[in-house]
Amino acid sequence: MRERCARVGVLFALACGLGAAAAALASEEPSGVRPRQIIETSAQQVLAILRDPARTQEQRIAELEKLAYDRFDFRTMTRLVLSRSWKKLSAEQQDDFVEQFTRYLANDYSSRLDRYEQQDVTVLDERAEPRGDVTVRTRMQGGEVDGAIIDYRMRERGGTWRIIDVVIEGISLVANLRDQFREVLTREGPEKLLEKLREKNAAPVESPAPSALAAPLPDWTGRPAAATLRQE
Amino acid sequence: MDRPSPSRLIALALGFALAAPPLAAEPEGARTQIAAAEASTDWEGGERLVWDPLEPMNRGIFQFNETLDAWLLEPVATGWDRVLPNRVQRCIANFFTHLVLPVRFANDLLQLKPVKAFDDTGRFVTNSLIGVGGLFDPATRFGIPKHDEDFGQTLGHWGVPAGPYLVLPILGPSNPRDTLGLAVDSVGAIQSFFLSLPVLASAGAVNAINDRSLTLEQVRAERASAFDFYAAVRNAYSQYRAARVRDREIEPKRESVDEDLYYLDDEEEDGDA
Repeated sequence: MRERCARVGVLFALACGLGAAAAALASEEPSGVRPRQIIETSAQQVLAILRDPARTQEQRIAELEKLAYDRFDFRTMTRLVLSRSWKKLSAEQQDDFVEQFTRYLANDYSSRLDRYEQQDVTVLDERAEPRGDVTVRTRMQGGEVDGAIIDYRMRERGGTWRIIDVVIEGISLVANLRDQFREVLTREGPEKLLEKLREKNAAPVESPAPSALAAPLPDWTGRPAAATLRQE
Repeated sequence: MDRPSPSRLIALALGFALAAPPLAAEPEGARTQIAAAEASTDWEGGERLVWDPLEPMNRGIFQFNETLDAWLLEPVATGWDRVLPNRVQRCIANFFTHLVLPVRFANDLLQLKPVKAFDDTGRFVTNSLIGVGGLFDPATRFGIPKHDEDFGQTLGHWGVPAGPYLVLPILGPSNPRDTLGLAVDSVGAIQSFFLSLPVLASAGAVNAINDRSLTLEQVRAERASAFDFYAAVRNAYSQYRAARVRDREIEPKRESVDEDLYYLDDEEEDGDA
């Protein structure tokens, strides 16, 4: 009996210890990953998806979109883009905006990426911003946008660094959308803006014809696009 | 072989074709954010908005340009794109970029940037000799960096403010400083000394059509994804040109402006976390 108790006790202690160790690992790992590494890994993942000839354009975009959900802090981006108007919205409206804007950005970003043909990304440096954010600077290599500088502004939340802005050749996505949103908000109000977001999400932005940039390799490699489509 | 000219990069980034100057000399200048931050009227509490007092007129001209593009430039460029192989389009683009190099060189010197002047000279010599008069771009393969200094940036470099946002008929987004820059660069371009005006105009048209044919997809996508295309172009042009004047470096001066962009206020921050 005592032995059993002792054994249970040992097991319990072991379990607790393991649990604690696992918890420690779990909490340590995310914060241990530097923003720079996140961007490096993401870039490799994106390129792997883009370069896989077995995937159809739809599949590529879907996968890029999934990746975007992990890498971006869409709620913060929504707040920043809506700027002062954010506080004037009701809680429901705020949630609506986060939902719709998230879908818009994820889709826009993934279909935008899909137009980048064969390129490489070099991470140049990581710069600390005054209030805790970090900017990771990258350079595109090859293709249409050879030499383009793309900065990722990242913020830590709950131990994970996520992207809150993409700055392409000095053009901040957040600042640009803020400017556009402001026009719609002042002219037509938040409900109209929400409606426009919903419209765009209903008809996702995609190249009507297969872009010359996104090399239509799948069509020529003996894997008919239709066959891959049917699997879905 | 590729030609990552600023207009193409912009088109890729935010895709506005009309930003591509249809002249051999690229449209220069942008209102700088530094100037904007200094003239506080340009900014509304870190909103990073563009100073646009002439907005009604600008929107009118923008609409005119869009119509012109829809009815003339885009259809012609689409035909051009169908007829000419991509490789040929790229050679044409390379050639026009090549012609601008002496102007860039002059602007490198005017901004006291000897390294860039050196690069641009090397690029011009390399592409003239090995690149068949600029039709090809071996300089890039040899690793000679590309630059794109112009007189608008030179003025900005020496502290001339961009002034209010301006949409030029046919030429597209600009501002007083960049308009002056464009005029100076066009006059200073080598071809303007020995070619007649009709020839120059035709060359400009070819360049415009060719440039447009290389950005058909992107522009279509950007138009579709924009909520207010006018505001999207205005903002992108201004941010882009400001970054060009800074040589894409982050200037300490601007940090307060940036921080305003990224933090609404601390209360909100906590409430949302």
